[in-house]
Amino acid sequence: MASQDTIRFISERCDGCGDCMTACAKAKGSASRVAIVAGSDGGWEMALCRQCGDPKCVANCPAGALDKHRDSGIVDWFKDLCVDCHLCTVGCVYGGIVFDPAAGHVQKCDMCDGSPACVPACDKGALEHLSAAGRLHEIHADKEDMFVPGLSACQGCNSELLIRHTMRRIGRNSVVAAPPGCIPGMGTVGYNGQTGAKMPIFHPLLTNTAAMLGGVKRQYERKGRDVTVVALAGDGGAVDVGFQSLSGAAERGERVLFICVDNEGYMNTGMQASGSTTFGSWTSTTPVGEIGRGKSTDGKYLPQLLMGHGCAYVATASTAFLDDYHAKLEKALEASRTGFAYLHVHAPCPTGWRFPAAMTTEVCRRQVETNFVTLWEFTPEDGLCFTRGVGRPRPVSDYVGMIGKYKHLGPAELERIQASVHRRVEVLQGFRRRSTAAG
Amino acid sequence: MHARYLIIGSSHAGREALAAIRMADPQGRLVMLSRERHRPYSPTILPYVVSGRSDPRKVGLGSVAWFAENRAELVLDAQVVAVDADARAVRLADGGCWTYDKLLLATGAEPVVPPVEGLEGVRYHVLRTLDDALAIRARAATARRAVVLGAGLVGMHAAETLAGAGLDVTVVEMRPHVLAEYFDPRASTLIRETFERHGTHMMMGRRVERAAGVETEACRLGLDDGTELEADLLLVAAGVRPALRMLADSGIATDKGILVDTRMRTARDGVWAAGDVAQAPGFPTGAPMVNGTLPEAVEQGRIAGMDMAGDDDLRPYLGGIPLNTYGFFGRHAVAVGAAAAPAGDGVEVVTDEGDGYCRIALKDNRLIGLAAIDRVMDAGILWRLIQRRVDLGPVRDRFLSHPLETARALMSRGWR
Amino acid sequence: MNQLVNSSRKIVCDGNEAAARAVVLARPDVVSVFPITPQSSLVESLSQFVADGVLTAELINAEGEHSVLSALQGACLAGARTYTATSGPGLAFMFEPYIRTPGLRLPMVVSLVTRDMLSPQCVWGGQQDAMTVRECGWIQVYCENVQEVLDTVIMAFKLAEHKDVLLPVNVCHDGNYLSYAVSRIELPAAEMVDGFLGEPDVNWHIALDPDRPMAVDPLTGGTGPGGAASFVGYRKSQVRGMANALEVFSDIHVEWGERFGRHWAPLVEEYRLEDADYAIVTIGSMTGAGKDAVDAARERGEKVGLIKVKTYRPFPRDAIIAALGKVKAAGIVDRSVSFAWDCGPLHQDVMTTLFASPHRLALVGFIGGLAGADITSEHFQRVIELTAQAARGDVSASPIWLNEHD
Ligand SMILES: Cc1cc2nc3c(=O)[nH]c(=O)nc-3n(C[C@H](O)[C@H](O)[C@H](O)COP(=O)(O)OP(=O)(O)OC[C@H]3O[C@@H](n4cnc5c(N)ncnc54)[C@H](O)[C@@H]3O)c2cc1C
Ligand code: SF4
Repeated sequence: MASQDTIRFISERCDGCGDCMTACAKAKGSASRVAIVAGSDGGWEMALCRQCGDPKCVANCPAGALDKHRDSGIVDWFKDLCVDCHLCTVGCVYGGIVFDPAAGHVQKCDMCDGSPACVPACDKGALEHLSAAGRLHEIHADKEDMFVPGLSACQGCNSELLIRHTMRRIGRNSVVAAPPGCIPGMGTVGYNGQTGAKMPIFHPLLTNTAAMLGGVKRQYERKGRDVTVVALAGDGGAVDVGFQSLSGAAERGERVLFICVDNEGYMNTGMQASGSTTFGSWTSTTPVGEIGRGKSTDGKYLPQLLMGHGCAYVATASTAFLDDYHAKLEKALEASRTGFAYLHVHAPCPTGWRFPAAMTTEVCRRQVETNFVTLWEFTPEDGLCFTRGVGRPRPVSDYVGMIGKYKHLGPAELERIQASVHRRVEVLQGFRRRSTAAG
Repeated sequence: MHARYLIIGSSHAGREALAAIRMADPQGRLVMLSRERHRPYSPTILPYVVSGRSDPRKVGLGSVAWFAENRAELVLDAQVVAVDADARAVRLADGGCWTYDKLLLATGAEPVVPPVEGLEGVRYHVLRTLDDALAIRARAATARRAVVLGAGLVGMHAAETLAGAGLDVTVVEMRPHVLAEYFDPRASTLIRETFERHGTHMMMGRRVERAAGVETEACRLGLDDGTELEADLLLVAAGVRPALRMLADSGIATDKGILVDTRMRTARDGVWAAGDVAQAPGFPTGAPMVNGTLPEAVEQGRIAGMDMAGDDDLRPYLGGIPLNTYGFFGRHAVAVGAAAAPAGDGVEVVTDEGDGYCRIALKDNRLIGLAAIDRVMDAGILWRLIQRRVDLGPVRDRFLSHPLETARALMSRGWR
Repeated sequence: MNQLVNSSRKIVCDGNEAAARAVVLARPDVVSVFPITPQSSLVESLSQFVADGVLTAELINAEGEHSVLSALQGACLAGARTYTATSGPGLAFMFEPYIRTPGLRLPMVVSLVTRDMLSPQCVWGGQQDAMTVRECGWIQVYCENVQEVLDTVIMAFKLAEHKDVLLPVNVCHDGNYLSYAVSRIELPAAEMVDGFLGEPDVNWHIALDPDRPMAVDPLTGGTGPGGAASFVGYRKSQVRGMANALEVFSDIHVEWGERFGRHWAPLVEEYRLEDADYAIVTIGSMTGAGKDAVDAARERGEKVGLIKVKTYRPFPRDAIIAALGKVKAAGIVDRSVSFAWDCGPLHQDVMTTLFASPHRLALVGFIGGLAGADITSEHFQRVIELTAQAARGDVSASPIWLNEHD
């Protein structure tokens, strides 16, 4: 059985407030199915159903009252079949299925139809809604892989992962633009008459991706054809020279999905700095020397600027949180039917940033855990909404310390990075809708 | 006919083995034989079939689709009468024959009928099969007085069910306590008193010595103390024993049950046994024991299946631990491990009747058993604490005062 | 307004409006606009036509010329007939997608309302902008008057989309002198233009279309296997398309004449050249004043003629050689500068062309009309005099800056 959605507990963040339990009890109208208990070392622990891959509670049920759902992966409990033998509780070592005296039968977490009430209730970020790649595999495995099997991307680059996932989802009835950069550099558009993808794909200029796609889309709209139009651009083609056409297309509300894969520099051409390169970064044009200390200014934070354009949908994403990415891709595609949609995907570059190729996903995760990267989505109606809590981040040094391009940084520079991380979170919090921001 | 994997018995042990085999070997022909004419079901459900709460058609352990998905063949009405381990073959009651590469005996247990004078001449019931349950259900519809012989799990479940159906129920148990194999005397007493409060007559420490038919269905029973009881419905629930009959001359070693090692292998090559039929090493000594509970059948079935299919992930059996959960008249009880172990000889016992009942038995600061009534407990976590011999020293006092929370915290920490 | 597209009639308008009306008649699918002097009134007219429902194209108000052309490239790859117009700095800003268009073989039509280039800062007519991009692979044609602007914009679509050509076309009309000069013109009937142009079929060879998936413009060339041959193949066919344009455009002009009764010289117009001893060579709107000056000189008995270059890219070598073969001297008037040669670009091209001909003649180069300056009949009078002098063997040093003292 494939692994499925679970809720992860980050004990270090939990202060035992019990908000999750309150939220669960309220959502379910019964005793909470998540239990926070005092740990032996002064910290907190959690008992909750893990929706196991091979659930023993199901094996122990004589009545067929428990079943792991094939698609959702949720272990479902059926009240009308249950005979109250409680043998399921014998199978569970997580305290995930428990007799509730008030209800008179066992209870367990059902993931609230995919959006667990407890997770957002925890403003400490101690609960994380995880769904493993396995579930994505379940959803996407049957879809056609639109991408050439052999590629010349660097080892450990997460762009291939991202492109495959994205292309699988958007499928053949689409037009994809890949402006110059690592994405076509790895063979996406092909060489000498050979193509890298099964859908129509092209190299726009570094500068004009959004405008060209706008033109493509307009013609199909004129002809009454529903064609998905997507850009897979780097940060140079979005933040720097591509910015004008991006801004214009966003303002015009072209029905386009623009995905910026941000590796914070011109990595394909040899790791030069871009407008997106962050403070302190070593790059080949912001080198470290007697005087040079890497990039001296902060990076331009494009997703925030796109919010200012009032796009139909703006979101940030990380490949360490692929389920979150897919959810956003879904919304972005939908939004791109009526207006401009923008996805900003953070793409750490093992080659250019100098970290081991095997660490990419860990680096992605750490970016998010430190709030160096925040995951959120924005619509004009609902304002900004964090899709992963920003409370209680790890210190940014936990991230910076993993990356070779920051190796030369001293405490003062680290402090500055930490301060700008805080500042950005504060600024983003300001974009939340007043009613939610107040809470 | 030949199967790579042949499983006899279609209940928990067999089903779990089947699933485990298919995890490791998606191809090899897999055949399950059952003497039943019904599709697979769990005996545990039978009291609820009697009461009508469970619909016999819905209590299946494996749907047609499930077998198809697992590419397994289910053969019903196929009673095995002999096993020839040399020829790697089994013979069926109808004369048919199956050969195998690997055989699992998951034939479970059968009711024990105690030697009571005249019993063979009266109409009595047992409860192990769906047909048994349907017969009792039919009889209960017209009966007024029921006598249940035995206060083990089956007897207690049945007694409650029959009481619920409006019958006047008497339970006769020769031991002084109900459910004595799981609960300590105090817990047993609490359970018994609950039955009594609900109008069930509990005759403890008595033995039925004689039985005689009255009319067609009713009978009269004579007890060792001279008491005479009349019953329209007599249920014999005096325990179960492994179903071994077909093993005569097979060379498969048996004691009370089929003797197996920690991989559920029997004495003969190519033959495994699991569940109520098996006598596997007990915890912690390794002495063989028959531990006829459903979770145990599942656990053993999985190990047997993995070993049969050569699954490298197999982790050998850690030893049987008695364990049960029990709901009665809206109350709930749990017993794990040596919950009734008497104090002394290094065993420390702490009881708490503050809120419901809880009895904790520790040895060397390690949990060896726990019984509780009307207390929420995670039986699975307690089981693990016992099995892993988790040192409770550092959290001893907290564990004794808050066993639920402390056990959860220990486990949660262990899982992170 | 509707009758405007349904019946032929006479109207009075300037060159910008004439171009816009030609676009209406050509029924493009997508039009993208950004204003710049002296082109602005052209895109205003287009926008108004769209607003009035006279032109049913998608109108993209892009944020700059770079995106204007980019959006049109996208639309064209999706099968759209496309149009825009620009000038001077706008063309410079458009340059990146501009230079790419011919290589993609996108048959677009873009009017250049020509303007002199910065710096010195200026906003007036001159052909420096168009001449600067003469080596980019676009077809360039220059119009003499408002009617020719209208007719040529329509014909340009047919030229661009012709399967033997498949190249973008710049229809150039002089800023100020044609953009704002009003004259009476004839507006052809819409159905007749429809019959002339037919349905657009612009992306049969290269498309962004899910029904015909392909990689558009993958990396091509390099030293890998087949790379060089592949790149050469593309370049050669592009050059061939350019060469084909001369004959195709000539045929289109013939057809235009037959259908609409107006006969324009497609490549080079010879005016009073039959018995001329010498000729002046003009390009664009200056030709009108040039013809007046020639007429006046003829009155005086001068044997002078005029050669008007309409199609400048590809350069109509044979037509030029044939025309110049008839004279002993030529005075070439440029409205822009070739910085490499200390002469005008047209002058340079004529010189280069003559190398292929055994015929030798005296050439005098003139540069006039920069930054909105007028080239009057008097200026042409001087051109004629100096050319006559050259025909007699006394060749002045070129270039002669016509407005040097104005
Ligand atoms: C009324 C009742 C209540 C119970 N309540 C509980 C409870 O609350 N908690 C708990 O833990 N356990 C309970 N049990 C015990 C539990 O049901 C058993 O431990 C469990 O079913 C054992 O599973 P098994 O697969 O080993 O054997 P079984 O369930 O006994 O299945 C054996 C199967 O093998 C078949 N079979 C036997 N011999 C042959 C043969 N010769 N040829 C072909 N087929 C054959 C039988 O038909 C049967 O289908 C209860 C049992 C009963 C009867
Ligand atoms: S309590 Fe209900 S769900 Fe749990 S094992 Fe028993 S019947 Fe199944």
